Amino acid sequence: MADRVERLTNLLALLLETREPVTLDVIASELRGQYPDGHDARRAAFERDKAALRDIGVEISSETLTGDRAGQMGYWVIRREMEIPDLGLDDEELRALQLALAATRPGSESGRDALWKLGAGVDDGRVFVAMSVPTSEALPALRGALSDRRAVGFSYGGVDRVVEPWGLLLRDGFWYLVGHDRSRGDRRTFRVDRIVGDKVLVLDEPVEVPEGFEVRTALPEDPMMLGADQHTVRSARILIDRFRAFTAVRELGPERVLAHHDDGSVEVAVPFASLDALVSWVLGFLEHAVVLEPDDVRDEVIARLRQVAS
Amino acid sequence: MSGAHSPKSAEGRLSRLLVVLPWLMERGAASVAETAARFAVSENDLVRDLELVAMCGLPPYVDELIDLWIDEGTINVGVPRLFLRPLRLTEEEAFELLAAGRAAMQLPGADPEGALNRGLRKLAVGLGEDDTGVLVISPNPAEVTQLVEAAREGREVSVVYRSRTREEATERVLTPFRTFQDFGRWYVTAHDSLSDEVRDFRVDRIEALGVGGPSDRRPPDDLGAPGTWFVDADIERVELRIGPTGRWVVERYPVDSVTEPDAEGWVTARMAVTGEGWLARLLLRLGDQVEVIGPDSMREVGRDAALRVLERYEAG
Repeated sequence: MADRVERLTNLLALLLETREPVTLDVIASELRGQYPDGHDARRAAFERDKAALRDIGVEISSETLTGDRAGQMGYWVIRREMEIPDLGLDDEELRALQLALAATRPGSESGRDALWKLGAGVDDGRVFVAMSVPTSEALPALRGALSDRRAVGFSYGGVDRVVEPWGLLLRDGFWYLVGHDRSRGDRRTFRVDRIVGDKVLVLDEPVEVPEGFEVRTALPEDPMMLGADQHTVRSARILIDRFRAFTAVRELGPERVLAHHDDGSVEVAVPFASLDALVSWVLGFLEHAVVLEPDDVRDEVIARLRQVAS
Repeated sequence: MSGAHSPKSAEGRLSRLLVVLPWLMERGAASVAETAARFAVSENDLVRDLELVAMCGLPPYVDELIDLWIDEGTINVGVPRLFLRPLRLTEEEAFELLAAGRAAMQLPGADPEGALNRGLRKLAVGLGEDDTGVLVISPNPAEVTQLVEAAREGREVSVVYRSRTREEATERVLTPFRTFQDFGRWYVTAHDSLSDEVRDFRVDRIEALGVGGPSDRRPPDDLGAPGTWFVDADIERVELRIGPTGRWVVERYPVDSVTEPDAEGWVTARMAVTGEGWLARLLLRLGDQVEVIGPDSMREVGRDAALRVLERYEAG
């Protein structure tokens, strides 16, 4: 049997060069001996090939034919839709994109493939300043939907939702999707890495981003203020011991300090809307931080600790 | 992220051919060695696949689809045809470029009128994308800009540094090689006069910083990718079972291996334990979303840490 790459290349060539939609019968006869003879096996092999081409980014157009081939499906590929247009990137711009990838997504295979398509190689030169940019399988589809202004469906927090995407934001190592949650009838912020199974369905439903919406201001600067549009903002009083006092005060700012104690510890006021984010921040200090108030936050921390201790 | 196809699969091979062929057609000829190196493929695999497509064709023009032959280590292309341009970027590739570009635009020294931003704009226009909805926000403290400049110019810096393990701040002379941001925190990889080693320092623990003269120190040959700074074969490993909402950990920290999620979305990951306290913090923050499988010596780390913190609550 012929190498599958040969069959795929021939199939793609035929679909590109044909002047009219071709049926599977025509394809099988043109690619003589490369598809199985039996009807079902041939159809199955062809479907697999179609999926393989789609998988590498070749969209196959199809329509139900009329006339003497009525009822049969005809297939073709539109060259203009398959090929990358000339983007007019100069050498300096390509080099900047190479460096950007090296500084933020080193070793990324998709990034490498993208550079190849743009006509550039991968840069593995020295990087002086870098940022680690996380990714997840849901992100490309979310960005595509955002660009096409289409609604998306996904499962989040145990609920299937339909969301109109307004913006994607990377901050402090997490990607957030901001949009209108149709299921809730309200604006919501979702952490992309918490989308269940990384699966996003792009729906054929148009989205209008409200005028004046800016993703930059959509999220509070402080992760502990996440959800401030849905929950009341409260304040927690936290005692930080002398080993961590300096870094905590630098992070929060001196205006959050309620008291400096003689033993070097500090009491700080931390505003929060997201209980989860606050608890996570406090636990990151291990035994160097204790929540003094309010009681329900203190109880939550203690409950979480008892659960781990048990 | 999976994304790219296994290079040995039919999809992977065809995908590579569809980027190699337009490149060859534009050049007319190239050496096998250069082409293989550029597209990260072995010379044998490259020659096999090119010879295969050179044989492709439809009747009556069998083997005339692609006009190409290999002779004495050189690939020659006759009349360019059929695959003249690479495929469009996939959604994943477009995202990768955009995210990398947007993130790099936030790094100190990025110029809004510079080549990167121009390139990103051309990408958006050429691909018909509306990319205004994607944003990266990153704080850049003044110390970071100073450290980046010092690394570029090969200078030393004197710092007062408050480490996690010592009570008192220490004075050190650092030769910075690279600064990087990870989860909103800035770090600098530098040679450290006090330990005479290359180490990573948290920028927010630097209490004072002064830029000094030229340094004789050169970076080690392999600094490693940012985010892998602490991975070292000598470092102890832990095996964790991690639940669906804790999965960011696998993205965030370098892992030796990670399984596919099971039906409930749990994965098993083997990863480096990067320092005293690191595992404890991770376990406390993940709560019921994590379970230590082994080694036995680490099974109690979370429990011990939780008890230690609880003691503080009971005391106060």
